[in-house]
Amino acid sequence: MARKEVKSEVAGTVWLVETKTGASVQEDDTLIVLESMKMEIPVDAPCAGTVVEILVAKDDPVEEDQTVAIIETS
Amino acid sequence: MSWESAIEELRHREGLAHRMGEEVKVARHRDAGKLTVRERIDALLDDGSFHEVGAISGKAEYDKDGNLVDFRASNFIMGRGKIDGRTMVVAGDDFTVRGGAADASIHEKQVYAEQMANQFRLPIVRLIDGTGGGGSVKSLEIDGRTYVPANPGWDWVVENLSTVPVVGLALGSVAGLGAARAVTSHYSLMVKGISQMFVAGPPVVARVSGPITKEELGGSEIHTRNGAIDDEVESEAEAFERTARFLSYLPSSVHELPPRGPVTDDINRRDESLISAVPTNKRKVYKMRKIINSVVDQDSFFEIGRNNGKSAITGLARLDGWPVAILANDPYIYGGSWTADASHKVTRFVDLANTFHLPVVHLVDNPGFLIGLESEKAGTIRHGARTLAALYQADVPWCSVLIRKAFGVAGAGHMNHSKLFYRYAWPSADTGSLPIAGGLEAAYRAELEASDDPEALLAEIEERLTRVCSPFRTAEAFRVEEIIDPRDTRPLLCEFANLAAPLRKTGPASVPYRP
Repeated sequence: MARKEVKSEVAGTVWLVETKTGASVQEDDTLIVLESMKMEIPVDAPCAGTVVEILVAKDDPVEEDQTVAIIETS
Repeated sequence: MSWESAIEELRHREGLAHRMGEEVKVARHRDAGKLTVRERIDALLDDGSFHEVGAISGKAEYDKDGNLVDFRASNFIMGRGKIDGRTMVVAGDDFTVRGGAADASIHEKQVYAEQMANQFRLPIVRLIDGTGGGGSVKSLEIDGRTYVPANPGWDWVVENLSTVPVVGLALGSVAGLGAARAVTSHYSLMVKGISQMFVAGPPVVARVSGPITKEELGGSEIHTRNGAIDDEVESEAEAFERTARFLSYLPSSVHELPPRGPVTDDINRRDESLISAVPTNKRKVYKMRKIINSVVDQDSFFEIGRNNGKSAITGLARLDGWPVAILANDPYIYGGSWTADASHKVTRFVDLANTFHLPVVHLVDNPGFLIGLESEKAGTIRHGARTLAALYQADVPWCSVLIRKAFGVAGAGHMNHSKLFYRYAWPSADTGSLPIAGGLEAAYRAELEASDDPEALLAEIEERLTRVCSPFRTAEAFRVEEIIDPRDTRPLLCEFANLAAPLRKTGPASVPYRP
């Protein structure tokens, strides 16, 4: 088991949270959608695993490189 | 009488040089997961092709009768060899001798390697694994004096940037002059975990700001994200593979043209998926790399600098076998806006294409320079203006495909508009001075403030303007020359590459390349 931090590559605002704590996800599944430069920018799972923490909520501002969720890989 | 005994001595001395550093140091080097410099050279070059120059240079000790009793090889190994049948200069530091420090290298060898590359018009690959140029401060007591620093051979190092392809591989802890040699190149690599790069290493830094590890101070994670180094790889073997691949797209010098590679793909191949590659909803993003891989010769896209300036995608590829430079935007990163980092990356890339006569294919989705406080603090407009200058100074055939957005000054930078270059627009093209979504409230402020239902009015104005923004209206006025079916992109780009091939010109670029 390893904990993998999911980071945002851009600064923006949380538009949608598309996953839940405990959800099982595959690599490239969209976890969170940010609004940045008037675009919907997905933050995708970097690996398969279980979402153990979601660190942002709708409308939260997000900085570049900020950890927005934690995935535990099996 | 013959000279056999002299040849025996020559072979004996070569044997001594091949031992490299002391056994314990060679063992320690291998235990750290690193190849020795001679193993690196063998792995990089075609089998048996290395011809060493200065093979017996080093520091010898003689007894009172003049007999050779000990020998320490120079820690700088260089010569000529072949990569995929093409002759190169290769120059490597031997970390097992004095930690690769330049004061044990016989610095004339470094100068000679650079000069050989320049004057024989051969690409040079630097295998860098050494500390700085001056050695330790102990040399003060040895020499009994200090000196005014100078970087040996820097005239050739700089001249080579405008003359021959230069690859800098940082293959260990690389500091000071070694770091400068790594980045003064057209393409540079670090190997994850075994390469670190810094102006000065942890012991020096610790005196200023406290303890720090080599990896924390200058690991590949730092330097491939700040753009000092182009790419990171998992192993030395991968570094050598990527070196060979990078060089395969380039001529041996600016006095030649990039060689056509094998023709492996159908120029008329039409990828059906391209018709739906760009979402009709303008707020949705898509994968630009899928489009790139679809339109270039199969498996020919070689991306450069993926971890830095990520809103721009840069790389080399082939179209009907012809090497080309591919420039694109990644809508996943700030919608593809040019940041300061992306601008810097694009400037270097356009300069690379211009130096080595590579036609440029630009797949454009550029909403403009990144806006906002952080972008202003980063001086984006200065970096962006340099990009525009590079683009207008470039003298290579150019083809732009407007995939989606081209807005503002950065969007206008999709090509040098004053030249007759190729330009196509996908039906998804969306161009102008400012995206509707960004400029609506400001432009219609008075009407919106006077309205009883500003939201409804906003939607109505947006719908009205969206109709006007159709690329068909732009094409009616010949402001964009052609709207194409996205599935025809590859056939048209292959046509461009074939038309561009005879237009390429040899010789030094009017603007010298800078790192």
